Amino acid sequence: MQTLFYIWRNLKRNKLRSILTILSVGFSLALMTVLNGYMAMQGVWGKEAETRNRIVVMNSQGFSGMLPISYVDRVRNTEGVQAASQYAWYGGNYKDEQMPFAQFGVDPKSVFDVWNEMTIDPKQLEEFQKTRNGCVVDRRLAEKRGWKIGERIPLQGTFYRFDLDLVLCGSFDSPQDTGSLWFNWLYLDEGMRAMNAAGTGNSGTIFARVTQSESMASVSQRIDERFASSDNPTRTQTEAAFAQMFTDMLGNVQAYIRNIGLAVVFSLSLVAANAMAMSMRERTTEIAVLKAIGFSRRRVLVTILGEACSITLLGGLLGIFIGCICLELLHTLSSQFMPLSVFEMLGPWLVYLLTTAAGIGFVSGIVPAVRAAQLSVIDGLRRVV
Amino acid sequence: MIPVKYNVRNLRVRWVTTLMTVVGTGLVVWATVLTFGLTDGLDHALRISGDPLDLIVLRKGTTQETSSNIDQKVAKEIANLGGIATDSSGQPLCSSEFVTILTKPRRNNGGTTNLIVRGLQDIGRGLRPGFTIVRGRDVRTGVNEAITSERMAQRFENLALGEKLEINKVHFEIVGYFEAAGSSAESEVWTDLRDLTGARRTPEALSAVNLRCRDEAAKTSLLKRIRDDEQFKLDAMDEPAYFERQMTASIAIRFVGFAIAIFLTMGAMFAAANTMYAAIASRGREIGALRAIGFSRRSILTSFLFESVLLCVLGGLLGCLATLPFNGLSTGTANWATFSEITFSFRFGPSVLLRGVLMALTMGLVGGLFPALRAVRMPIITALRET
Repeated sequence: MQTLFYIWRNLKRNKLRSILTILSVGFSLALMTVLNGYMAMQGVWGKEAETRNRIVVMNSQGFSGMLPISYVDRVRNTEGVQAASQYAWYGGNYKDEQMPFAQFGVDPKSVFDVWNEMTIDPKQLEEFQKTRNGCVVDRRLAEKRGWKIGERIPLQGTFYRFDLDLVLCGSFDSPQDTGSLWFNWLYLDEGMRAMNAAGTGNSGTIFARVTQSESMASVSQRIDERFASSDNPTRTQTEAAFAQMFTDMLGNVQAYIRNIGLAVVFSLSLVAANAMAMSMRERTTEIAVLKAIGFSRRRVLVTILGEACSITLLGGLLGIFIGCICLELLHTLSSQFMPLSVFEMLGPWLVYLLTTAAGIGFVSGIVPAVRAAQLSVIDGLRRVV
Repeated sequence: MIPVKYNVRNLRVRWVTTLMTVVGTGLVVWATVLTFGLTDGLDHALRISGDPLDLIVLRKGTTQETSSNIDQKVAKEIANLGGIATDSSGQPLCSSEFVTILTKPRRNNGGTTNLIVRGLQDIGRGLRPGFTIVRGRDVRTGVNEAITSERMAQRFENLALGEKLEINKVHFEIVGYFEAAGSSAESEVWTDLRDLTGARRTPEALSAVNLRCRDEAAKTSLLKRIRDDEQFKLDAMDEPAYFERQMTASIAIRFVGFAIAIFLTMGAMFAAANTMYAAIASRGREIGALRAIGFSRRSILTSFLFESVLLCVLGGLLGCLATLPFNGLSTGTANWATFSEITFSFRFGPSVLLRGVLMALTMGLVGGLFPALRAVRMPIITALRET
């Protein structure tokens, strides 16, 4: 207890220096919080996806490949599959905005069985199933845009030639903001057929929910085997693996973030060590006095290390606080980029950041602390600063 | 003016502190410049891909070749329009091309990503900057051969010379590597137009038409002609505009770059302030003496600011120097406009390095300002009395 008090008094001794060091550590760790938070978000997102027992079927050649609509029924009838729906990315423009939110052509009859965690008013669902050009959206998207039921939502196709003129039938609630709009796939396909356009009858991707999580691998394999010798072989993977594909596309982001993190940690250690060394230089005589009146080496060591760690820990707390505010801001600004709120992804990574902060303090304090502990009382008292 | 030598000597006397601050700011600048180098490399690759006289013709409503499709008949009509430049043999420089994206694995377990495969004819090669075959040979038509760049061969499975890339169960042998002045063409696999559409089982398909205009006047009239034709239902834009759009799609990396720069500059600023406060605190008597022998407050302020700037800029230069080994190092990421991989080289042009130095300068100036103000505010008598 007494030691803690000493540490506190020492921290306040040169307030300016302590504050500057804390701010320096704080801002750098805020950056690390944002970067690590982004990675944590992907982890949470992936884990979340794992619990839903969903698998994704796509053409083995990738998104541009054809996945005939007849495959949906065949996937649906595969043993172990509970529900399946086509999920075709439309990627249209809304008024003057280019692809401002995600739009998918789905099967209104089964889509809420595949995404059974999403809830919708049964009346609205019925309306959606009845209306050819109907659509439903994530409630948060509807609120953000101020859309009411019956709202007309025109979408201009980019790679589909057919433009959609949708009517909002309802909104669904989802555990996480999906920012998506779902419309009736048939409406799009019929439109395309009427125009004699290429690329009709394509389901894009197929999402299916499997009865048991253990059977996801075997069901995926069964589906792929079934289509292997067809004109359009498939590649089926879990939803988590599917999400991972998009992360992979970015390239080696994790290594990049880790390297930036390393550079930051290293430079922070230098900054903190510098501050510690400066404050020790001023206190040589004082430490000698402490030792002269009977402070043990250990106590001196602990006091100084404690001071170094407290500074960086305070900095770390500040940094995590600023970082979390930034993450939350990002989430409100762009839910596509940052689909989770900070509160949904609190986890061990924050502890890891705090440990890093304390570790920086330890590394920066160790040399001055050992030197002070080993300082001979006579030399210390004699030294003129 | 207090001589510069005074500051240099001060930094040298306190060399441990100086070194730590310099290395600390250096690392911070290094991390930031590296990120800027990444975006600059990406921008550079896209910028040199576009020739102001080249037009790219797409279906109305799309902005990307990858999501466009054009009728063959219309493509032929376009080739016959007036104002298109011709090559030495008198053929119009107008190339009908088919672009498709395939999901393929990267080497070394780098995950899968999308790969652009372009089917085109000989004439299209003349429309790319500095197209040359650097190894192997160009493709022969009708026998499913393909060429790519060396960078792509290193990044993707099955793209090295002699290896075979599978496209809808048709195997395309890689017979050569090409270069195109580092443009985005180097992120693609090229094969014969009909071989590719055949493999994709869309024999008539075309994605876009690339053409070169004879001159600026011809460009204006061609743009107008293609856009306004009710029957074509096409859009045309010049290549610089087309690639400009792709640059804005990489907003996420740019954002990360600026986030790193801002946070770390702030962090380093406080660190520099700390060092300078300590430097000034231990030099109270010196400052008093300087004042006593007649140096003005302003020259003391300048001197200390200069010292702080010197400290940080040294670090900044060190950080910039440390990025040089990365210069030209090839890397890749997703081009969200085309939804596929783009490879490019890190590029530390003058503007990137300047940004790094500016960052260091800001740290030094802002970080040094308050300590320097404190130095000049000290009354001579108290300063001289300080221990």
